[in-house]
Amino acid sequence: MEVAEEAREAVLVYALAAIANEGAEAGETAAALAALCDVLALSGPDLIHGIPSAPLAKRLPKLAAASAGGDDGDVPLLATRAMAEACEGAPVWAARFAHHGAVEALRDRLLAVNSIELAEECLRALEVISLECPEECLSRGVAAAVLQFFDFFSTNKQARHKELALQIISNIFSDYDEEYVSTAMEAVPSLCNLLQSSDKTILKSAISCLALVAAGASENAEHMGKLSETNAVEATMSLMGNEGWKSLSDDTLTGILGLLKNLASVSAKAVKSLFELDFCGLLKQMITYYSSSNCDNDKVKMLLELIYQLMPPLGASEQHAKLVTAKKNVIMGQSAYMNQLASIVALTVQVAKCAALSSICYRCVVVISNIVELSTPDFLMELQKTVNLSSFLTCLLARKNRHILFQTLKISRTLLEKCQQFFLETFTKEGVKHSIDSIVSQEKNSSHQLKTKNNKESCLSFDLESSSTGEACRIENNAVMKLGEEIKKRFFSVKGSKKSPHRFGFSLKSVRDFFARLHAATSPTENPDSCKQLSDLSRRLLSDELPVTSTFEFVQSGSIKYLAIYLSNGAYCNTDLSDEQDVLGQLDEVQSRLQKFASLALTVSNESSANPLGILVEKLLDTLQMCYDSFPVMLSDEPSTRESMMIPLRYPETQEVTTLELKFRRSQREKELRNYNDVLSVDLFSTPDAIEPVLLPEVCKKTDQEPAPKNLNQEKEANGNSKLGESKNDDGNRSSKLRFLYNGVILQPSATFFESILRLMNKGQSDLEIDPSFWDEEHYITYRKRNRSKEISSQSSYNTQLSHVQENLQYTWLKDPFFTAILLGKLPGDLDGSDPSYNLLFMLKVLEGLNRFSYQLLMDEQINKFAEGTLQDINDLKVAIYPVPQHQFISSLLTDKLELQMQDSLFEDGLIPSWCVYLVETCPFLLSFNTRWKYFCLTAHRLFKTDQANSSTSDHFHGHADQVKSPPQTKKYRVTRSAIIEGAVSMMTNHGPSSRIIEVEFEGEVGTGRGPTFEFYTTVSHELQRAGLGMWRGDNREDGFIHASFGLFPKPWSSSSMQGIDFSNVLQKFKLLGHLVVRAVLDGRILDIPLSKAFYKIVLEQELDIYDIPSFDPELGKTLIEFQALVKRKKFMETSLRTSSPTADLCLDFTLPGSPEYELIPRGSQKMVTLDSLEEYVSLVVDATLKSGIAKQIEAFKSGINEVFTLKALKMFTEEEMERILCGEQDAWALKNLEDHMEFEHGYDISSPSITTFLEILRELGREEQRAFIQFTTGAAQLPLGGLASLDPKLTVVRKQCDGNVDDELPSVNTCRHFIKLPPYSSKEIMKKKLKYAITEGLGSFHLS
Amino acid sequence: MALRRIIKELKDLQRDPPTSCSAGPVSDDIFHWQATIIGPSDSPYSGGVFLVTIHFPPDYPFKPPKVAFKTKVFHPNINSNGNICLDILKEQWSPALTISKVLLSICSLLTDPNPDDPLVPEIAHMCKTDRLRYESTARGWTQKYAMG
Repeated sequence: MEVAEEAREAVLVYALAAIANEGAEAGETAAALAALCDVLALSGPDLIHGIPSAPLAKRLPKLAAASAGGDDGDVPLLATRAMAEACEGAPVWAARFAHHGAVEALRDRLLAVNSIELAEECLRALEVISLECPEECLSRGVAAAVLQFFDFFSTNKQARHKELALQIISNIFSDYDEEYVSTAMEAVPSLCNLLQSSDKTILKSAISCLALVAAGASENAEHMGKLSETNAVEATMSLMGNEGWKSLSDDTLTGILGLLKNLASVSAKAVKSLFELDFCGLLKQMITYYSSSNCDNDKVKMLLELIYQLMPPLGASEQHAKLVTAKKNVIMGQSAYMNQLASIVALTVQVAKCAALSSICYRCVVVISNIVELSTPDFLMELQKTVNLSSFLTCLLARKNRHILFQTLKISRTLLEKCQQFFLETFTKEGVKHSIDSIVSQEKNSSHQLKTKNNKESCLSFDLESSSTGEACRIENNAVMKLGEEIKKRFFSVKGSKKSPHRFGFSLKSVRDFFARLHAATSPTENPDSCKQLSDLSRRLLSDELPVTSTFEFVQSGSIKYLAIYLSNGAYCNTDLSDEQDVLGQLDEVQSRLQKFASLALTVSNESSANPLGILVEKLLDTLQMCYDSFPVMLSDEPSTRESMMIPLRYPETQEVTTLELKFRRSQREKELRNYNDVLSVDLFSTPDAIEPVLLPEVCKKTDQEPAPKNLNQEKEANGNSKLGESKNDDGNRSSKLRFLYNGVILQPSATFFESILRLMNKGQSDLEIDPSFWDEEHYITYRKRNRSKEISSQSSYNTQLSHVQENLQYTWLKDPFFTAILLGKLPGDLDGSDPSYNLLFMLKVLEGLNRFSYQLLMDEQINKFAEGTLQDINDLKVAIYPVPQHQFISSLLTDKLELQMQDSLFEDGLIPSWCVYLVETCPFLLSFNTRWKYFCLTAHRLFKTDQANSSTSDHFHGHADQVKSPPQTKKYRVTRSAIIEGAVSMMTNHGPSSRIIEVEFEGEVGTGRGPTFEFYTTVSHELQRAGLGMWRGDNREDGFIHASFGLFPKPWSSSSMQGIDFSNVLQKFKLLGHLVVRAVLDGRILDIPLSKAFYKIVLEQELDIYDIPSFDPELGKTLIEFQALVKRKKFMETSLRTSSPTADLCLDFTLPGSPEYELIPRGSQKMVTLDSLEEYVSLVVDATLKSGIAKQIEAFKSGINEVFTLKALKMFTEEEMERILCGEQDAWALKNLEDHMEFEHGYDISSPSITTFLEILRELGREEQRAFIQFTTGAAQLPLGGLASLDPKLTVVRKQCDGNVDDELPSVNTCRHFIKLPPYSSKEIMKKKLKYAITEGLGSFHLS
Repeated sequence: MALRRIIKELKDLQRDPPTSCSAGPVSDDIFHWQATIIGPSDSPYSGGVFLVTIHFPPDYPFKPPKVAFKTKVFHPNINSNGNICLDILKEQWSPALTISKVLLSICSLLTDPNPDDPLVPEIAHMCKTDRLRYESTARGWTQKYAMG
């Protein structure tokens, strides 16, 4: 090695000398150059740096430029190559060469076009030089030379050279100085020639280059005009069309959008071509894409600005007048163009309502404002009908942001100017008028105060016009008020419009009356007539009036409040619930009201309409969008490093944690306590509640107090703190001794210091960006002793009484937080009841619970009817319900806000506003699954129970920095295939709680990593489904596995019930399953085990009751529910009048159905069930099935999970979502060979068009739909292990014979034979619609039988 | 429990046997029965004696018994394995039903096939389009397999 290096150095010395010799022979120089090239090519940058550069830098360019004639042809080539090698090895050389005229030399060589080889070397050298000194290259006209050279490389082989050439150009043009604009423009024609190219890569690079040129020239109207004369727009559109934009790189796309924006801003012609090519359609696609699934706020902003530029600028100065008219002419000239713009309005409105970023919202508003400006009155009226602009305006007028307010007011003014009569009416109905009135009066009251406050708001105005650079924020302090007053004066004072029938007043009143009457009618049973009347009225209102009621009317009428008062039987808004109120009586009344409401709101009067609950939820969510400012996003100014896409789960890391400096001082009024007067560094999660135990011992004056109990207390608190939000629910029960204040304001004990301080510092603002100095400052906190005399209120005693009553309740839904909320008339936690969002959250929480438990509620009602005798036949004991799909409860605004908050890089450290925690814990249904999953991933690292005991008492106090936690390494583990369960058990026992990722290898096999690990999890999940393990209910299949049609649920076990099975083995396997579940969640593994919904409920710590039994054992569940009804009926009739009780025929004894050895009572097999003992029997069976019989198994399972982290953290997910997390998104069937496992008969074969369509539709179905399809066709929700392939008989599609119109028919099935009879529909759309209808309706009717 | 119920049903059957069928355990295993059904006189199965196996699940009567023909039958709702497509044996099962009622239902299914919801579409098609041919084939099968 050294020898080689020495030799190389020797060669170098020789070469350098020979090259420096100007008088040398050409041949000699050539040889020296060749040697130099070789050395350079082989050497690393270190060596090249070591070469004395000065002589070479001077000499090489000269040699490269040397006379082209003569026979020293090799010298220029070699000199160029040497430069290229040197530059590539050490880019610093580029500038040196350039300094000595290399740029000119290379340019001339290119222009001369001697040989391809030489040109190639030129390009290589120029690539680096252009990157290092673009200006030099630009001013010397390299771009033109390179472009001229372009045609020279014609063959495909040289495509690389073309790319190289374009790379050079893009280097040259990136961010070039304005003074070279005209030089740069010279390259435009040749670049435009390239746009004809059919090669996509060339086209892409050419457009990027053009975009760069345009970006530099954007200030210059003349040049931009020239650019717009080219075919750039068409070429760009051809590249973007057909979803082409999805494949473009981020930079390219940004460049292209910039190019189009710049073109559109100056040229009416460009705008015209864009419209002609249906650019708006493309924009719509892109905005939808970037605003929803692939959240990219910068792109959305850019796209919105682009739309803006399509239109003539608002309030443009004189010099642009020509452009304005030109653009106007283009757009107004063609109604199709206007329609294109209109089609964007709906989307823009949607984006504006849901956007968490005010800057995006502002852009939307400006775009809409512009479109409105352009539109004709007729057009606007049409738009109001389809988009409901007025309601949108009301929504925005509720915001605090003054920029948005101002623009929104401007839109309102324009609309009124264009067609006053029409919009005055809708403005009244939709609440715009009301909002403007209240804004004006509000502004007046606080105008002097605002002058000092509002300059904190960051300016949102974006660079709309090229001339407006440097202009300060355009919205003056009182601009909003002025504009509001102007609108009031000009339009609202006109009272002539009263003649028109004012629907508004009527519907407002009727909605309000309805809910008020509902509440007034407290005891409807007294008068059946009025009861009937009322329910008719309710039905009419809910299904006829509600859909046409505007959101504003809905809010303004107080309907939400009245409904809440009605449902809670007056508890809502009633702060002092006293002991006098009978908990049980209240409970019964609320329950019966919920039931009545559920049956009204969930039944559909005619098939076409949506059910009233759905509409109600939609209205509530709509209204929630007006509460934008109740959920303020806090952003640190740290650069956002997080990708907006999927993020991996965070493992505990040893990482510097952001902390906050708090200086604690005694309050001046405080006499008893000592002054602490010291700075504590706390992490962002610290709350007053958490700090108190640390601070209290320090400041307690009494020295004689023995320290031991204090420490104990402290320790307990510290541990409690390590579990997130452990004691959130028993608010008020904890008695804090200290009160903390910041600037004289008392801090909420459960909110973090960090958030409280920020809020108080930035009062009056909603979204805020944290000033960097915030972190360095010391924040003064004062404390004083809390005087607690009124602590124990009647409220808390009511709560205790309530929880006591709930303990003994039969149905678990009565214990669900939703029911507690409605019973107490308040949401859990200490939310500000006066916030406008409170009503909405409360109502949504209640309705969501009502929806989730609708089956239970309605079934319970049916049973009562049967008991009372109004329902005669026990076979009619069924409910047909159409619950609102869970996804309809998602609030896109809140989801977007949380997403934005999570993008902040300090989120994991605790930059989590309390509303985020609250929503995730209390109203998870408002957030989309993906968002919650992301939240989980980002916060889960705090929930780990690490290997080291968390004993140090001051841990939470100094943050996590002290705790040395292992980074997310992987832990490899070896198992033997033949003893996989044993291996899994020992692995999980030893390493289950590890905070490291576990990977598995199989003994005697070489594979490692993902593959074997996934296989391990799959295999173990299968092993746990073996028949004869005594774990699960279900049938033994021939292949030795258990099959449970509705998912696996633990089999009850009693000491006598399962001979031959060691119960400790069963427990061990459940614990293993717990471990597997938690590792699957943490390591992102996938289990292949069809657990039942009810089992997932257990995972999520929900209690089960009799109504859960049908979900895993329909036959047993149905019978038990019927028994339950009989019991109630008997109770109702008090005496059993029947001579023969049906139970005698059933020959039931007190053993568990299916396990005669499982005696429900001692000697139960000897005791027969009679009508008198039926109640006892039912409750014993339910208890054995759901509780006592499986308690130990569940305990083992949970202990497996809890060893690693707290189960509570998973509560934010639903059963379905847990399944998605654990079992992955993989499909219920193997999609690739779907057709291999199906048969096609009776009029169909694999090639029939209907079958092709059918298979296409099946592939498009989502997971839940697939499951519905499986249930529809086979009657079981779960396919046997092995999926569709092991279905016997095979799924068969046959042609359905139709007499009438094919498209009116529905598909039908024969579940015995797994037949689906499919009519040969005329189109895919119809087939999809009919199929989806059939499978979802079928699913709804699952409860019917 | 299941055992007790099955014994009760057996006693009831012996005490009050239905006219067209009989049933009882095959051997010592009380959960496994065999039944005979006499072809209804107003059907093409008239004169045939059909053997039927019955398996009681451990959680009988909460779950339906598994019933299948052992004798080959030409019928749109009974396939070549003897499986019967009958709602009360599936989702319409109720603990109030008994084996005796199930057998009677099967008898009436023989008399009135349900070709609109077939298990064997070919037979159903024939039954709907060419009733005579269906009946003669059914009769032929009955003679061949059920009159041994």
